[in-house]
Amino acid sequence: MLSFGKAGFRKLAGAAAAVLFFALNALGQTQSQTGDVKPIPILQGSAGFITNFDGGDAHLAPIATPVVLVPVGERWLFETRANFETDMVQLPGRSGFHGQVEKQVDYAQIDFIANKYATVSVGRFLTPFGIYNERLYPVWIRNLQSDPLTLPIGIGPSNASTGVMVRGGFKARPQFDINYTVYFSTLVTTTPVDSDRFAGGRAGIFVPKARLEVGGSFQHLLQQERSNLFGFHAVWQPTKLPLDIRWEYARSKRGSGYWLEPAYKLSQLPFLQNEMRRTQLVARYQQFFTGQLASDSLPPVNTKQFEFGVNYYFMDGLKFTTNYGRQFSSIGNKNVWTLGLTYRFVVPMGPEGGRR
Amino acid sequence: MKRNWMLICCLGVMTFLVGTAIAQEPTKPEAAPKLPADMPLLSANSNPNDENALPQRTKRTRQARHTTKREQSERAEGEQRFRENCGRCHQPPHKFPPRVMAAAIRHMRVRAMLTDEDMRLILKYMTQ
Ligand code: HEC
Repeated sequence: MLSFGKAGFRKLAGAAAAVLFFALNALGQTQSQTGDVKPIPILQGSAGFITNFDGGDAHLAPIATPVVLVPVGERWLFETRANFETDMVQLPGRSGFHGQVEKQVDYAQIDFIANKYATVSVGRFLTPFGIYNERLYPVWIRNLQSDPLTLPIGIGPSNASTGVMVRGGFKARPQFDINYTVYFSTLVTTTPVDSDRFAGGRAGIFVPKARLEVGGSFQHLLQQERSNLFGFHAVWQPTKLPLDIRWEYARSKRGSGYWLEPAYKLSQLPFLQNEMRRTQLVARYQQFFTGQLASDSLPPVNTKQFEFGVNYYFMDGLKFTTNYGRQFSSIGNKNVWTLGLTYRFVVPMGPEGGRR
Repeated sequence: MKRNWMLICCLGVMTFLVGTAIAQEPTKPEAAPKLPADMPLLSANSNPNDENALPQRTKRTRQARHTTKREQSERAEGEQRFRENCGRCHQPPHKFPPRVMAAAIRHMRVRAMLTDEDMRLILKYMTQ
């Protein structure tokens, strides 16, 4: 039988207090995971003014991409990016450059940080096949302004998926982190937010001490030819050199190929140091091989392309960029070159200053 | 003709953006390192041994007296994680106001799949 004396009650109260203490403590710890700084909504914007000379025709391509981030509570984030882009060309018999502004919502997703290991995202999100689409696409990030030839492989008709994604990164061993993402996308036929029906995943191992990441992507198409797609990627930034090396390979029924892109900052040169450390030399070699099936967005024949570029960073969000390239294929060789200025800014949409 | 105006407007906007970018450039610390303070992050990636490459440098001496050992080691750890992680995809960014940084870091946690601990330490380092 249970009977409570004074001592029993005290024990119970003590236990309850202890439980409460630990619970609050644990709560405090989850809160401090984001630090004691409360995030506010922000607007990140980037703009680029790019001039392309593609086989002799000049194209002017002004582009603007606002990103809105709205963090909610401790674990939620709403993120969206729109893209306004024009490809202006000279038309015969008319003066000046002409083109239409294309508008698109690149992504609009809600992220829920469930725990240390998993974040769940729902909505329209950039398809994480390979690394270019999700990580390197914005004009202020990419080292060379032209898209890789293999970019359209595995990312769907509008570069994004509509559905759900689970992703996360965690320390697997003291020496390395693992990151993963798995996703499912459904068919949407409304342009410009169309997406394909597929399921896929990507996983990577990142070795922080060596600043090396290697990984692979997989996707199974749940429509049309119902095929499987594969990809591999590597990113290496040797700690001793101001060098970035990125590589990606993708394979699908509609074509396959790879690109390799080393980029080197001149910061180690002994002269004009202030200018040299802002200057980056970039090269990219890529090869594309046609597949069994044709594709509208991939080259129609086997193609090789070599590009060389110089970027000058006035500051961390502002760069001048130029590159020259030559494309070789059986339908003719051509020169491709670009000249441009890109800019990125971040502004708060609320009181920015202090702590919570 | 209308398109020519558009071109001129675009150029105007770009000039404006460049102007604001230059105006936004963080002011240089008094004990100025010989390179501008906004550049650090470019070279955080480029030259890991370059002391100027760190965003927190200016406040460090003043704060050092007040910080405890644990805080110092956390900051060093945060700095290390910043160098390891934040230049992998883009130029490592300079410091933003704390609450702006907190939003960007949450975004990066999702996008770059940073670990929970990376996020905490980097945020701490970037906002102190
Ligand atoms: C895996 C690649 C990757 C890594 C690693 C990465 N970023 Fe980013 N970062 C991006 C991409 C991509 C964007 C642009 C997002 C967009 O436009 O959709 C971005 C944007 C930003 C922005 C602009 C504001 C915003 O949230 O869009 C800031 C600030 C930023 N990153 C800071 C950091 C910091 C600090 C780190 C290190 C903790 C970091 N990034 C690591 C890919 C990365």
